[in-house]
Amino acid sequence: MSSTALKSGAGTAKRGVTVSAETRRSSLGFALALPPVLLIALFVGIPVILAVGFSLGMTGGLNETIASIGLGTVEADSWWGTLAVYGAVFSDQRFLRDLSVTVVITVISTLLVLALSLGIALYLRLKGGWLANVFAGLAVVPLFIPVVIASWAILNFYANDGFVRTFLSQFGIDGPTWGYTTVAVVIGSVWTSLPFATLMAGSGVQAIPDAIIDAARDAGAGITSIVMRILLPMASIPLIIATTFTAIGILGQFTVPYFTGPNAPQMLGVDISKYFSSFNQPQQAVVMAVVVFVLASGVAFCYVWANFRTAKKEGRV
Amino acid sequence: MNERRSLAYLASAATLAIALSGCATAAGSTTDSAEGDASSKSLTVFISGDTNVQDLWEKGLIPAFEEANPGVTVDTTIDLHGEHNQQTLAKLTTSVKAGDDPGYDLIDAGFISSAGKAGLLEEATTDTVPNLANVPEVTLEAGDGFGIPYRASSVLLAYDTTTIDAPPETLTDLLQWIKDNPGEFAYNSPSTGGSGGAFVATVLDQYVSESDREKMTVGYEPELETEWDEGFAELASLNQSVFQQGVYPNGNNQVLELLGTGEISMAPVWSDQIITAQSTGTVPDTIGYAQISDPSFTGNASYIGVPKTSDHADLALELADFALSSAGQAIIAEAISGYPVVALDTLPAEVAAKFEDADPSALRPSYYSEMGADMNNLWDQKVPGQ
Repeated sequence: MSSTALKSGAGTAKRGVTVSAETRRSSLGFALALPPVLLIALFVGIPVILAVGFSLGMTGGLNETIASIGLGTVEADSWWGTLAVYGAVFSDQRFLRDLSVTVVITVISTLLVLALSLGIALYLRLKGGWLANVFAGLAVVPLFIPVVIASWAILNFYANDGFVRTFLSQFGIDGPTWGYTTVAVVIGSVWTSLPFATLMAGSGVQAIPDAIIDAARDAGAGITSIVMRILLPMASIPLIIATTFTAIGILGQFTVPYFTGPNAPQMLGVDISKYFSSFNQPQQAVVMAVVVFVLASGVAFCYVWANFRTAKKEGRV
Repeated sequence: MNERRSLAYLASAATLAIALSGCATAAGSTTDSAEGDASSKSLTVFISGDTNVQDLWEKGLIPAFEEANPGVTVDTTIDLHGEHNQQTLAKLTTSVKAGDDPGYDLIDAGFISSAGKAGLLEEATTDTVPNLANVPEVTLEAGDGFGIPYRASSVLLAYDTTTIDAPPETLTDLLQWIKDNPGEFAYNSPSTGGSGGAFVATVLDQYVSESDREKMTVGYEPELETEWDEGFAELASLNQSVFQQGVYPNGNNQVLELLGTGEISMAPVWSDQIITAQSTGTVPDTIGYAQISDPSFTGNASYIGVPKTSDHADLALELADFALSSAGQAIIAEAISGYPVVALDTLPAEVAAKFEDADPSALRPSYYSEMGADMNNLWDQKVPGQ
């Protein structure tokens, strides 16, 4: 692919006089966009195609090694493969349970992240002042703490002998134990996703001109209608982007549920790793990965749509 | 315009370079090992196990071996908790079949007997490893002539002596104790460490016939797995009685930590890990340990082996021989409180005295490695959250 690009580049150079400026510009753009496209095709695209093929029972070619390593590998019985592995995975109660817990954790955590980041962003926009700045600053702190360390800290903070219970027991209250529960996974997910969402929501709301808000105030609009009818609609694109990124990130996370979550039900990210290494069933692991991929694509569609809408609004499309 | 054009060339060239760099790294690493072959003697030990085994090699055996053999350098590669054993074995199979050096020269892992049976290892006899002469026949037999036993350990029941006067002595008593004392017992999920694995296997074994159990320790017999059903049901019934109503920590060490902080008062632990933890102070001296009976927790000698296609097989066998020497066995005893595998009378008196009660040849063996992978999977399906 890259050699073709070089050749066409040389061609352009020789016939430089006859080629219009427009063509030259677009070929330059193409050449500049080539590195990331090629890299993604080589190191992400091909492995994804191979993996999907493997999940359908295509065990030849580049999949041969993994197929010979795994236990219980199923081979395709027709040209397009077989759905036997999908059938086996979807009839496993453990998978259905873990799939639903993954979706529930993703939805709850995303809503919490959105509410928290929006709260901070609106407070900063409407009220301002040092307290709002402190909140906005604190919300970004998790960005600088490695997830492994944060997960471990969260686990210990809410453990049986952790800070919460120790503190409450000073007042004779028997506090909750959230270590090794789904609650801890939600707390951890919110912690790791908050910074990005806050930055997106914050900048989105900040970008709305004062004049519009002032005009609404002059016309007698209260805080609620300013938020609901001006700020939220005008910041909707960055908010959708923040939501999709948060949801996709939580959907596929491994570290937080691995450290803080229960053995069962567990999120799919951890399951995939267990199936792949501990149980040595790579084909089943790939099927689960495909399911996560399909879910994430659904969310990603919203992102693409939001981007498309921005582009359309600005007249680029 | 010229500038732009050269920019385009640059971009294309960069793409090529980056795309090729992936291949280049792989090629580079092969060249490295080939060079090392000619100039100086170097070895790589592949370790599949917990951090204590890693320390044993990196801080105990290897420095001593390097000192005794100037000019030799030994590196290690670790697969923590042996979570990728199945893949490692399969990769080893592929490279031996292709006649390639697998990238390591000595393997310390639970799958040595499978690898030996599959014909992937150098034969180990008293000719190549003279110190094998000191190892009891029974211990050698399980190695099949390929695996070199070099240390032993077993899983024990650790308990808090401040709250428990008389620990359960049989498995039945232990299971009853767990139900009578909810929240006080924990074992790690079997896929993350051998101590939890030994507890699971021991509960399963109650319902497996002697002859079938024997088959499951030496080969892959998936059709016998139905005999586990009752045992898994029993384990699932313990969910409400174990730590936090069904929490199974990840790894042997997390269980030791819970024991050390006093969150639980009883757990299955590796003999070597509990002795080491007490000497370093992470677990207080008030924790006692004992073996249960009927059936006892599993334990066994650990075996090392040399891949058939290793480029430095001779040197690797020398290192294995060193581990079996009385100096090597003393290092193992001191560094990780591992049981010696050689006859005790060949060891220095103070080392021998420490292990008078431990007889590695009497330990109950654990399941064959593929059986173990299936046991982990079925446990995960049938026990937590049920």
